[in-house]
Amino acid sequence: MFIITPVGRVISFAVKNITRNAWIGLATVLVLVLALLSVNVLVGVNALASSAVTILEKKIDVSVYFKPETPNAILDQARSYMASIPQVERVTIMTAEEALTAFTERHKNEPTILDALNELEENPLGATMVIKARKTTDYPFLMENLNNPQFSFAIENKTYDDHSIAIQQVEQIADSVRYFGLILTLIFAIFSALIVYNAIRVAIYTQREEIGIMRLVGASNAFVRLPLILDAIFFAILSLAIAAGLVALIISFGEPYLVSFYDGEDPGLKSYFVDNLLPLIIAQGMAIIIIVSLSSWAAVGRYLKK
Amino acid sequence: MIDLQNISKIYGSDVHGLRDINLSIEPGEFVCIVGTSGAGKTTLAKLLIAEERPTRGKISIGGWDITRIKKRDIPYLRRQIGVVFQDFKLLKQKTVWENVAFALEVSGETNRRIRETVPHVLKVVGLEQKAHRFPHQISGGEQQRVVIARALVHRPKILLADEPTGNLDTINTADVIQVLKKINDFGSTVVLVTHNREVVNELRSRVITLADGRIISDKKHGKYLIQS
Repeated sequence: MFIITPVGRVISFAVKNITRNAWIGLATVLVLVLALLSVNVLVGVNALASSAVTILEKKIDVSVYFKPETPNAILDQARSYMASIPQVERVTIMTAEEALTAFTERHKNEPTILDALNELEENPLGATMVIKARKTTDYPFLMENLNNPQFSFAIENKTYDDHSIAIQQVEQIADSVRYFGLILTLIFAIFSALIVYNAIRVAIYTQREEIGIMRLVGASNAFVRLPLILDAIFFAILSLAIAAGLVALIISFGEPYLVSFYDGEDPGLKSYFVDNLLPLIIAQGMAIIIIVSLSSWAAVGRYLKK
Repeated sequence: MIDLQNISKIYGSDVHGLRDINLSIEPGEFVCIVGTSGAGKTTLAKLLIAEERPTRGKISIGGWDITRIKKRDIPYLRRQIGVVFQDFKLLKQKTVWENVAFALEVSGETNRRIRETVPHVLKVVGLEQKAHRFPHQISGGEQQRVVIARALVHRPKILLADEPTGNLDTINTADVIQVLKKINDFGSTVVLVTHNREVVNELRSRVITLADGRIISDKKHGKYLIQS
């Protein structure tokens, strides 16, 4: 046998419960908001770490400086050879003239350097080849390939800006934050479940007379249980909305301060949350609703067994 | 209608609430169950509404074996047995009308059925003029009549009243008993658990006397036998 309970009446009983126990509801919402904020801190740290790693990875390349007298044929040969290696993402060549223009532009406000340059009859700079690898781990292999005797004799100098240590450090910090964040999130999840459990127990206690009469006059267990579970779900949804608002506020005010840590580049926090808004809300909403539903189910169940 | 076979209820290991009770109540009967405190009257009432389960024996109500009734079926049983208690169990913040309607609301009845049923049962108990008063604005007897009205909304075949006059004065007691008789006249079976000698002797209905968890007397037109 199954009792079909009109949804409207269950909702009306749930609304009455909320208004009667507003303060307990407020405390519950506060703890749920803290739990959700801790989860979002974890998500934010992940986004910031991955953004930092991407920025650092972008900065890694190999610059090969050729001797000034190197013929274009050798430069073309070097570029073709390096570009043919599958691990290479991009090879760009800056001719001696382009290098001189760039150098002059870079030092346009430094007359001493420009005067010294003018003293020279010929362009002292050679062509530069910049090589970008697909993966940061491929650079040692590419450096070896630059020893090709077909063009290695023309190379004056090579620089390899190795940011791998910085990347490792960022990843280590992010791992630690993730680890402690996960513990914090678990603690808050347990707190949330316990707080909701107790809030529902208190709600039952304040309405024990009414619930007792409900059972006496033939209310089904579902009718006793559903309004209280709906209350918990309402608290969860309200908490989700408040947490989302707070996260948006924190990002709007906080992100500009992070730009300086990212060498003037976009830390990508806002764009990460905007791009993943729906999955984040669905995942966190589902998780918090499942937690509160189970804990309120258990709280009412314990009472109904009496 | 109500059939108890070899019912015993033992609390803990050796506290006997009821001992080997055999009892049959026919449809339309008015039965008084009497006895001193601790005789087993309330235990019997609790077994009938499945608030407790017997240790041994079998209970059937309208052919339905409720001895090992499932929890999910208890609400259906309670809609078939109207229950009236000594302590009223009315919701103070609700009016008479709302208290009666509450039993239908929580059972998932439609608003239309509620609007039809509530005035009808309030008329049966004579409270149609006080429908919008709150419990504290009416007398004890009237409060008990509200409880009876609430018990009647599901049109139960059985009305179980456990000490309904325990908190009432003589005049209010008479009012409540009149209402119970009226309900019995409509065809419902009434089981009245009481230790009120005057009520029992005036009713001159079937009287089952309990002592120490046993039936010591079952008379068709009995009197209150116990010495207070």
